[in-house]
Amino acid sequence: MRNSIWLRGFYQVLYFVRSAFRGMWASRLTSGVAVLTIGVVLVLVGAFLLLVYNMEELIDEFGNELQITAYLDADVSSDAQRDLAARVAALPGVDEVNQVSPEQALERFRSSVGSGVRLLEGLDENPLPASLEISLSPEQRSAGGLAAVSVSIEGLEGIADIRSGREWVEGYLRAISLVRTIGLGLGVILALATLLIVANTIRLGIISRSDELEILSLVGASRGFIRAPFLLEGVLQGGAGGAIALAILFALFELALPGLESGLEMIVGSAPRFFSTSESIMVVGGGAALGLIGSAGALAAGFRS
Amino acid sequence: MRGVGSAVPGIGSDAAIRMYHVSKSYMAGTTALSDVSLELAKGEMVFLTGPSGAGKTTLLKLLFGAERPDEGQIVVLGRNIARLGESAIPPLRRRIGVVFQDFKLLSSRTVAENVALALHVTACSPQKARARVFAILKQLGLQHRRDHYPLALSGGEQQRVALARALVNEPEILLADEPTGNLDPDLTVDIMDLIAGTALRGTSVVVATHELELVKRYRKRTLRIEGGKLIEDVRPLGNAR
Ligand SMILES: Nc1ncnc2c1ncn2[C@@H]1O[C@H](COP(=O)(O)OP(=O)(O)OP(=O)(O)O)[C@@H](O)[C@H]1O
Ligand SMILES: [Mg+2]
Repeated sequence: MRNSIWLRGFYQVLYFVRSAFRGMWASRLTSGVAVLTIGVVLVLVGAFLLLVYNMEELIDEFGNELQITAYLDADVSSDAQRDLAARVAALPGVDEVNQVSPEQALERFRSSVGSGVRLLEGLDENPLPASLEISLSPEQRSAGGLAAVSVSIEGLEGIADIRSGREWVEGYLRAISLVRTIGLGLGVILALATLLIVANTIRLGIISRSDELEILSLVGASRGFIRAPFLLEGVLQGGAGGAIALAILFALFELALPGLESGLEMIVGSAPRFFSTSESIMVVGGGAALGLIGSAGALAAGFRS
Repeated sequence: MRGVGSAVPGIGSDAAIRMYHVSKSYMAGTTALSDVSLELAKGEMVFLTGPSGAGKTTLLKLLFGAERPDEGQIVVLGRNIARLGESAIPPLRRRIGVVFQDFKLLSSRTVAENVALALHVTACSPQKARARVFAILKQLGLQHRRDHYPLALSGGEQQRVALARALVNEPEILLADEPTGNLDPDLTVDIMDLIAGTALRGTSVVVATHELELVKRYRKRTLRIEGGKLIEDVRPLGNAR
């Protein structure tokens, strides 16, 4: 008996699938145009998603480099330096503190400038101060965190000066949030457009198949039985639109990649990335979900009369 | 007005259809049916006669919930249609086969697909549906028309397709609205024999017709309505069903 219920469910679904494809085939021009339009619309949404993802990725990538460098007063003894380092390490938001002696600083400078340079050779005395390199705990790696930690370090005795990439980070984060806001606004508008496109094709389908729906109802089809193929049609159209968008985005990404890669790698040493498998599934699923909502709306409106 | 008196509650609990004082009007001031009471037993066959516009189709529509009565009660297969919710109508319809006066065939589907529609709504397996459709089409002499489209068929053939769709589900009630209107005399006899046969196997049958020849030949109970009123309920002597 259980088995037969499952089997009956399977036969119903089989019928719905056939009926949905039959419906789309019957209005293949409208459905095709709808799917392509949804595809193009979702390309725009997807492009913004990719942009925001990659911008955020950059912040994560050089999150370790989001450091504060605190230069120490020249008269701080090495004991006091150790002491200061420990106190900074205990501050909230601080992950790690690295002491850099003047000798180490000079050595780094030499190696970064190159051995051929004789600029430093005449120096009797090392002009570079001792410093602390302070990295932030992960949750503080933002402009706000940077500011908060900087302020508390500044208040300590023995600190001469502080350098952080704060302005730069703030600007960058503002850019991300701007892109995200634009993307969100555009996404909402385009999602509504997708809903309307699907709703309209489904509405046309309901009208053009009204005699079939009447007969189905007369031979005892339930409300759900009559509606299911239309919902499925909406899901398939939205999902197909999402898949097309994904394919277009991937093609564009692959085309643009060589240029982007060299540019970005020079700055941060990381290549831009495309959607992961699960994110790709979400793009297609998002299209399908929009299709479902659109067709449900059309059904609610279309069967009211 | 013989026989109408039997349609009171409590009598004939094995009735497939019971109507109590049912009235229906489509527009204010007009009546399609007025104060109709009747009872139909399981496996009973009845002719519904009357002039055009008398209310025959309206009565059938009330029985499968295509229209709601303004007044009165209608009990079909134990369910009170007047009080039934929207979602309870489809399951009831799946137990009733209807031959529509205008056939209501889908021109975009083949004969076999049209007939199978009545099985699809019951979640029948494709194999079983194919077998049943084949059997009923053969019974109605339409097996060679299986893959044709309704518009390529004669009126009589379309009518038989409509009957095939009504019967393919082995319904408990068959409502046939002028099922022989487009058939030649020989075919009329064949089709009516088939319909009468389903009554013998336990299906309650209502055949709306204005062909009095037919009514005479088959000697079944006959309801006559005129102007929406049930004016005659005649049971032939010596033939209970
Ligand atoms: N949908 C409708 N809207 C308005 N009036 C209707 C509707 N259907 C039927 N009527 C009216 O109700 C009355 C009964 O119609 P009905 O179709 O039941 O008659 P009938 O006995 O089946 O006639 P026929 O033998 O011509 O098929 C008629 O006067 C008709 O005009
Ligand atoms: Mg009629």
